[in-house]
Amino acid sequence: MDRNYVNLTVNPCKMCMPMGMVAALKGISGSMVILHGSQGCSTYIRRHMATHYNEPVDIASSSLTEQGTVFGGSENLKKAIYNVIGLYEPSVIGIGTTCLAETIGEDTARMVKEMKTDPSLKSISLIPISTPGYAGTQFEGYFNALKAIVEDTAVITGKSRALNVIVPLLSPADIRHLKLILEMFGIEYIMLPDISDTLDAPYTREYKRIPKGGTALSSIARMPGAMATLEIGTTIPEKLSPGKFLKDKFGVPLYRCPLPMGIEGTDTLISLLAEFSGRKVPHMITEQRGRLMDSMIDSHKYNSEFSAAVYGEPELVLGILNICLENGIGLRLAATGCKSPLLKPAVENLEEKFKNNLSVMTDTDFEKIQKFVAGCHVDVLIGNSDGKWIEEKEGIPLVRIGFPIHDRIGGQRLLSICYEGTMRLLDEITNTYLSFKESTYRKRMYQKYFN
Amino acid sequence: MRGENTLKRALDKYPARVYKNRKSHMLVKDSSCKTQEIAANTRSIPGIISNRGCCFAGCKGVVLGPLKDVVHIVHGPVGCSYYTWGTRRNKARKSINEKNFLQYCFSTDMQESDIVFGGEKKLRNAIKEAVEIFSPEAITISATCPVGLIGDDIHAVAAEAEREYGIKVMAFSCEGYKGVSQSAGHHIANNGLMKNVIGTGKGKKYGSYPINILGEYNIGGDGWEISRVLEKIGYDIVTIMTGDGSYAELKNAHLAGLNLVQCHRSINYIAEMIEKKYGTHWLKVNFLGISSTIQSLKNIALYFGDESLISKTEEVIQEEYGMVKDQLEYYKSRLQGRTAFIFVGGSRAHHYQVLLNDLGIESILAGYEFGHRDDYEGREVIPDIKADADTKNIEELKVEKDKKYFRVTMSPEKLEELKKTIPLSYYGGMLKEMAQGSIVVDDLNHHETEEFIRLLKPDMFFSGIKDKYISQKMGVYSKQLHSYDYSGPYTMFKGAGIFAKDLDMGMYTPAWRFVTPPWKTGPILEAVLFGGEKA
Repeated sequence: MDRNYVNLTVNPCKMCMPMGMVAALKGISGSMVILHGSQGCSTYIRRHMATHYNEPVDIASSSLTEQGTVFGGSENLKKAIYNVIGLYEPSVIGIGTTCLAETIGEDTARMVKEMKTDPSLKSISLIPISTPGYAGTQFEGYFNALKAIVEDTAVITGKSRALNVIVPLLSPADIRHLKLILEMFGIEYIMLPDISDTLDAPYTREYKRIPKGGTALSSIARMPGAMATLEIGTTIPEKLSPGKFLKDKFGVPLYRCPLPMGIEGTDTLISLLAEFSGRKVPHMITEQRGRLMDSMIDSHKYNSEFSAAVYGEPELVLGILNICLENGIGLRLAATGCKSPLLKPAVENLEEKFKNNLSVMTDTDFEKIQKFVAGCHVDVLIGNSDGKWIEEKEGIPLVRIGFPIHDRIGGQRLLSICYEGTMRLLDEITNTYLSFKESTYRKRMYQKYFN
Repeated sequence: MRGENTLKRALDKYPARVYKNRKSHMLVKDSSCKTQEIAANTRSIPGIISNRGCCFAGCKGVVLGPLKDVVHIVHGPVGCSYYTWGTRRNKARKSINEKNFLQYCFSTDMQESDIVFGGEKKLRNAIKEAVEIFSPEAITISATCPVGLIGDDIHAVAAEAEREYGIKVMAFSCEGYKGVSQSAGHHIANNGLMKNVIGTGKGKKYGSYPINILGEYNIGGDGWEISRVLEKIGYDIVTIMTGDGSYAELKNAHLAGLNLVQCHRSINYIAEMIEKKYGTHWLKVNFLGISSTIQSLKNIALYFGDESLISKTEEVIQEEYGMVKDQLEYYKSRLQGRTAFIFVGGSRAHHYQVLLNDLGIESILAGYEFGHRDDYEGREVIPDIKADADTKNIEELKVEKDKKYFRVTMSPEKLEELKKTIPLSYYGGMLKEMAQGSIVVDDLNHHETEEFIRLLKPDMFFSGIKDKYISQKMGVYSKQLHSYDYSGPYTMFKGAGIFAKDLDMGMYTPAWRFVTPPWKTGPILEAVLFGGEKA
């Protein structure tokens, strides 16, 4: 896609790096986050995440003012760290930078190093993570944080039978499901990160400031001893890949598989798990697969009727493309706000295979996406709720998936991976089309024949 | 239970210095004291999770953002603009010949190279593109943190663009680190609008009572409901600042006969400057709550002093109140006797106390996120407020009497007389109207929210999305008074009815039957639980 207008971004299809960093940290057990910069960054991200997850999302700020900006912010950051420890008693604090801190050249790594000489901080992991908002999107911020955590925490340990499982930003329901599958295979695993409880906590009688759950630091420390790393995602830049780091530094064999979305994608994961565990695929999973196949046959007669446009984080976009292609749903567009050099060839690969007249747009915004879908025949949009303006203006129904979902309830509970999730998502896509088709049928016929 | 002791217990966990700081931001209302001082508008303590936003949020997010016919370009990395995209529910509709860009989010999306080599060129091109694609009436440029630091001269770019395209292009240096909260951004936006917009319009023919509504952002349609009732009485609304407001209307703000001020904090600067420059008086109003709405409507009529206007006002009050009276009585009977915490913005935490009181709900704890001392104690304390370094960094705009448009609308004697009965150029603040023994907390943070909920056990908690789920996880119903939980309007009489209905729904929702806060009834024995941990 050519971009005529390149300086003005209209309706961004991306967020900033600190957002991704926070999401990753929320999947670490006993963690708190401090964003080093002005307090607006923390406040905006808290609001953005709380609206999606319907959970408290606590993010501290070093509350830099003009004075701190001029004379350096290390005093503010120190105060912030001590106050967070005093009030939250975390076992790990992720310290992310903001545009402000990065622009004035704050060296948080050095500040943290200095602080670590304080014996009272011995039991607490302070992890500096560089996340300037201008250097990438939430996607890069997320993996940057994961890699920083692993780099900081992993130590040479004895070999174990554990499998490291590194996941992109999925819903808490997805992570719960993935854990269940790993358990069905009897695999001992270290899931990084694990937001299944922290960002979708059950109601309990006693409210806890730091919700239970998340990946324990002690588990992350043991990652170098694992029998292998399974990194879910094929668009993760090499330099941000925690799996690559574990392989290069500790020689942990690295396996990568696409997001288990669609039957083939899930098959890849399941056969890998069968291999790791040395077990046969559990009966229940075989049945889930069978049920998905049955459902695919049931809805094929509708699915080949319509076409879709998909946008969002690169990994999720690829996963959704796979579901659509497997079910004969026409694909017109795969778009992401990230620069993602790996998405483009992956989509082009699919296009070559399926000949779908599918275009790909990276580093784009919703204005360009809207222009594109308005100019070709698209029946269904699939992506996060930021596409609602296109839904409204172009009258194309939107299937909400990913992050954020702000105008519907339950985004944190959407299961969209493996056989079960694929079935749910596929049904929703098909039904969205059917509902659209049936509610607009008369109008369209009228327009066709009498206008 | 309530009293100094509660404050001490809530602050118990703080280290000494934090304790001292935070203690100065709290007080227990004591009517026997002539004055009670509270610390406000000072720096938040790092690491204590404050609910405050930044300067940019106050400028672009609050004051400028709602102007619908303007393209608001955020100069900076993508996040700042993205997070203010349609999140505030400041509604707008366009009439014929009007433009509305509120559904759009504009950013220069600065990249690393722009930070290193400067972003002026990109900004210049972005303005060009905005003009070509959208042809807006005006453009604002709001600065984010890096802009001031790398030395981009957005004011020069704006001036150049203004010359080139022949439309108004305004720059706002509202970098996030300025000031101590959103409040600094309000001031910067006020200054910019005063300098560049207000007074530049030629106006049109207005009715007998032309007025402006200041500090009304039309959340959930609040401003529309206010306008409906005011127009019914016979007022001609020149402009609303800034909810559903427009650049085209704002230009004529100097032609109004009276300025009504709803949110004092965010817009009092403009109210004062207009008074100095054009002679237009401002009147503090509150359209949230039945008693306050009636009082405000009567005060406006008294200002103009016209008998027919006064009687028409009475008539409309009767009519509008009559429509919701029974409904309100019904809800009051169901809500009466409950207690609430209210922690919002700069004025709402005061306004809503009246509405809650009308429904028989007692506000036992209240506070502002970014209010100043005058919002608590009244404008009489302004001369005593010492300007600190953070405040001094924000320009104090000086205005002179306008040669052409300055008007004297009433004699100084009459004005003094009126000031005795109605709050002209005056806001008395929140404290005076609060009940004996109630607690006031400025810049309430996450830790204190929890502590006070445990100590005072309120029935409801009014705040925003960031602390909503903390309260609800603790088993206390929470309602957002920033976005209204996607409801509204809550202003005037009809709005009071909707608010009462929403609270009733919140309090009586069957889900609460399954949830008991631990401090309400201790469990008799810890039984085997089946998820959801029945208490």
